[in-house]
Amino acid sequence: MVNGLNLAFQFLDSFAFIVLAAAGLAIIFGIMGVINLAHGEFILMGAYGTTLAVTKLGLPLPVAMGVGALVTAGFGLIVERTIISGFVPNWLGQRTIGRDLIDPLYDRLADSMVATFGLSLIMVQGARILFGNSIETVATPLGNVAYGEFSYSTYRVVLAGVSIAILVAVYYLFTRTDYGMRARATIQDEDTAKALGVDTERIYMTTFAVGSGLAGLTGALFAPVLSMQPTLGDQFLVEAFVAVVVGGPSVVLGTALSGGALGLVNATVTNLLDSTTFGRIGLLVVAILALRFLPEGITGFIERIRARRQEGE
Amino acid sequence: MIAGAGVAGCTGGPDGGSESASGGTTGTASSADTVKIGVLEDQSGNFALVGDPKHKASMLAIQEINNNGGIGGREIEPVTRDPQSDNQRYQELTRDFINEEDVDVLWAGYSSATREAIRPIINRNEQLYFYTTQYEGGVCDSTTFACGPTARQQLGSVLPYLREEFGPEIYTIAADYNFGQLSADWVRVLADENDAEVVGEEFIPLSESSFGSVINNIQDADPDFVMSMLVGANHTSFYEQKASAGLEVPIGTSTAMAQGYEHRRLDPPAMANIYAGVNYMEEVPTESNTGDGGFADRYYEKYPDAPYLNEEAETNYFTTYMYKQAVEQAGTIEQPEVIEALESGISLGTERAPEAPEGETIELDGATHHVDHHMWVLRADQEHNIEEITNRKIPEQFLSETVGCDLREEDEQTQYTPRDYFEEAE
Amino acid sequence: MGTTADSVRDRFGFLAGIRDRFEGPNTIGNSRPFWIGFAAVLAVLAVYPFLPFIGTGSQLSLFLVLAVLGLSLSLVWGYSGVLSFGQVVFFGFGAYTFGVVSINFPDATGITGAVVAGVLAGGLGAALMGYFMFYGGVRDVYVTIITLVSTMVMLTFMSQTAGSAWTIGEAALGGFNGMPDIPLLTLGIEGVFTFQFVFNEMQVWLPLFGWNEIDPFYYLSLVAVVGTYFGLRALVNSDFGRVMVAVREDEDRTRMFGYDVKRAKLLVFTLGGALAGLAGVLYAARNVYIDPTVFELWFATLPVVWVSVGGRKSLLGAVIATVSIEYFRLSIGGDWALVVLGALLLVVIVALPGGLVPWVDRQVRRLDVFGESGEAPDPGDAPDAAAEVSDS
Repeated sequence: MVNGLNLAFQFLDSFAFIVLAAAGLAIIFGIMGVINLAHGEFILMGAYGTTLAVTKLGLPLPVAMGVGALVTAGFGLIVERTIISGFVPNWLGQRTIGRDLIDPLYDRLADSMVATFGLSLIMVQGARILFGNSIETVATPLGNVAYGEFSYSTYRVVLAGVSIAILVAVYYLFTRTDYGMRARATIQDEDTAKALGVDTERIYMTTFAVGSGLAGLTGALFAPVLSMQPTLGDQFLVEAFVAVVVGGPSVVLGTALSGGALGLVNATVTNLLDSTTFGRIGLLVVAILALRFLPEGITGFIERIRARRQEGE
Repeated sequence: MIAGAGVAGCTGGPDGGSESASGGTTGTASSADTVKIGVLEDQSGNFALVGDPKHKASMLAIQEINNNGGIGGREIEPVTRDPQSDNQRYQELTRDFINEEDVDVLWAGYSSATREAIRPIINRNEQLYFYTTQYEGGVCDSTTFACGPTARQQLGSVLPYLREEFGPEIYTIAADYNFGQLSADWVRVLADENDAEVVGEEFIPLSESSFGSVINNIQDADPDFVMSMLVGANHTSFYEQKASAGLEVPIGTSTAMAQGYEHRRLDPPAMANIYAGVNYMEEVPTESNTGDGGFADRYYEKYPDAPYLNEEAETNYFTTYMYKQAVEQAGTIEQPEVIEALESGISLGTERAPEAPEGETIELDGATHHVDHHMWVLRADQEHNIEEITNRKIPEQFLSETVGCDLREEDEQTQYTPRDYFEEAE
Repeated sequence: MGTTADSVRDRFGFLAGIRDRFEGPNTIGNSRPFWIGFAAVLAVLAVYPFLPFIGTGSQLSLFLVLAVLGLSLSLVWGYSGVLSFGQVVFFGFGAYTFGVVSINFPDATGITGAVVAGVLAGGLGAALMGYFMFYGGVRDVYVTIITLVSTMVMLTFMSQTAGSAWTIGEAALGGFNGMPDIPLLTLGIEGVFTFQFVFNEMQVWLPLFGWNEIDPFYYLSLVAVVGTYFGLRALVNSDFGRVMVAVREDEDRTRMFGYDVKRAKLLVFTLGGALAGLAGVLYAARNVYIDPTVFELWFATLPVVWVSVGGRKSLLGAVIATVSIEYFRLSIGGDWALVVLGALLLVVIVALPGGLVPWVDRQVRRLDVFGESGEAPDPGDAPDAAAEVSDS
């Protein structure tokens, strides 16, 4: 049965989930060409950080979420400096044996996958060793919105708004700030940017930290609705990867559009066929078709049309 | 079933198999002084939360038995590895335990998929095997003892009560895989037996953690109560989301609370008004369980940092004692004789016996290799305190009455499903 | 070619001719010492079950089967530049097809046919997916993502195929619990000659070693791996192999030289799918079981890990890495096991990005360990080059 409001809320729920799952990954992949298979574990870190901040430190939930995100950003910084760019090992190498020890992982697609896969193993098992098989969860705030015989968790709907706010914030970050301008220059043409005095090392470092922080924020935001186990990151991975690639090169617009399109497919198929399984399969099949017919993602397609139209004028 | 062409070469068995004739063996067979018990339970990976208590309870039982003189004077040597919730690993470790370590008995696996994955190896080697998780039921296998409660027993304890209390209309939500689908079939059968009606049925993939549409569907159907057979970490979110959405319909379950202790992990009142139909939870109010020095006390004395004592742990515990009793009755650790002893029927405990914490007595039904469990209906209130609603003995019915599986008469290795026997399950 | 090769050719003209097929710039190990070492290892593997402290060879057979899967990815990715997460999809196709066909035709002829069917299923699946992707113009990372998503689809779909509705003939797909009752692998023709390979430990006598119990499946898997290795070696060193490598190095340029790049990629992808299907058949046959966990993200990533660590551009690396990593994964235990594994992967890929075997090869050449004065030096190896890791 398709009830309009139900469908609307389920769509918003799905949209929020996809956008938030993809946010951090889109930035890291889009700008640095690194596929972070530990993305789920960064989300885990944000979720655990938030939950522990509430249960152990007694912080109020919004503050705890900030803590979770910041902790993850900090960890992302460390990961970037040691593994992704190899700055720290190379610094040590220069000091001791006089040469670089490792090469950076930028734009090395497969190698970054293996490295981050190894990282994810360490993080999951590390969480298990440190905190056990589960930790106590935090309650979902904000009650529900009732309409007729139905109701929907207010918080889940609010998340849709939050996800849009995050997209806007990221857009602002990349278009209106100094950092954003330099970051875009670096994506476009690293050598020229360097020649113009942009510290690309710093840009990559900051970007990875921002991307990790966003993933941590996703974990923080979802902490009140998930079961707190070391494997909780897994459920975000598929949506994240699919959304990032279907979205295409433009980080903000791409994530928003793919979140919208895939979320709509998911909600509609689930509602029409009364089956969550086929809703999910529908989402995946549409993603495959999208990649087949729009090989550069949605925004890549839009850009090509725009370029063609400009040429025509 | 081991179908196919004839088997050439030597057959497996406790001491036969793959010792190399020209070299040494990597494990030692049990001697006249020891009994080797193999325990393969998940301590990491997806099932760690529910598998770890099983491991711990087995170790507790072994320790207690060893402290009391062992099995017929023999000390138990536990053999354990962590299969990491990985079926490929389970297969290799099972081969290793049977062929290299020569275990006399094996406890292994949480999910039915694991049981199926190692079944060819178990059957090939005719290995005595205890499968202790609650499961869909129907396994009639000559060397396997599926001693956890079956779906029919669990659902059969809670569904009639809820029907009496709240009314005849049922909405089923279940995990979309074998166990969930078969449990949903049993709900239909039980509904038919209890003058109730399934007004809606929904299956959710194991990987799904967003339940907005499920909640809307339940609200649309407006049933008298919901039967929930959701499984796994992702499905735990349902309870939080339902509480957040203000869905207050009573929910009967066979899977929640008893295995993954959601009532301890989630903030109240997420699990309020949830009725668990199970043979055991840590809170089961029997003398041998919650009394002084009872099962729960002994478990936490050995494992003070353990988060919970779950349903399957109790099954691991009492089956270890059943094995002990069977070996002492048979007078030998040779597996065929022990199996015969088990098939003669083993019964544990009185009200005060330590080995049967779920209550009074429990019997192993020799013909079907299943257990006549003491089933409870336990409810979580607004603060997540567990209260007892009702309890009674429910024997294993499907295999003994409907199918007619008798492993004392005839060897087989089959799993039966309700659809083949009940119209209502279609 | 220097004097060494000439004299070899003089003495063993026939053998040297054969060697030529398997040697070339695209594979590591093109010297006599290499082949001698290779033959020695092969000899050890042949008598492996007879060695002391080894069982029947059964455990190693698992790793060898997985090595075929690793080789399939090495072919597709290392030599044609297509990073496919989907090898496990074809692996699963092969395994499930083998199960379905062999359950429906459980005699030796049927099972043998099931093996062929499984390999064909893997190849066919790859052909379809490859056609869809390559002829649709999908490239690079998007190929990877499509293959990744396809494993997700298979996982979600196959997990819910429990229940009697999902039965093909006599074979129930089994859903999450896996496909039960697969017949034991028996090859041959019913009534003429059959041999059971699985669960058929037999006593065999060898001079010097005496009697020993062996698992015939071990030898089957050994033949599969070695056969695949040699077949691929010949392929990548052939003309078509050069086209593959050209596609890997620069697709556009290769197309401009007139080569049908799409067809080349499709052919390679199909062959890779067939090999993955073969590995799947052997996997299901060995375990007498198959379930949807082969479609999980974790298992789909493993071949990428094996091939990356072993050396993407090295067939030998794929085999060695698969066996080593899987053996390591199985043997380690305890709380810290997975942490150690993760750390190891991290360190290896970051420190030796070309992979283990090419690194070893470079060190061996640099040290000129075998005194191959007659061989032309590897062009990238200046005598005073520090061991800079290249980033290809």
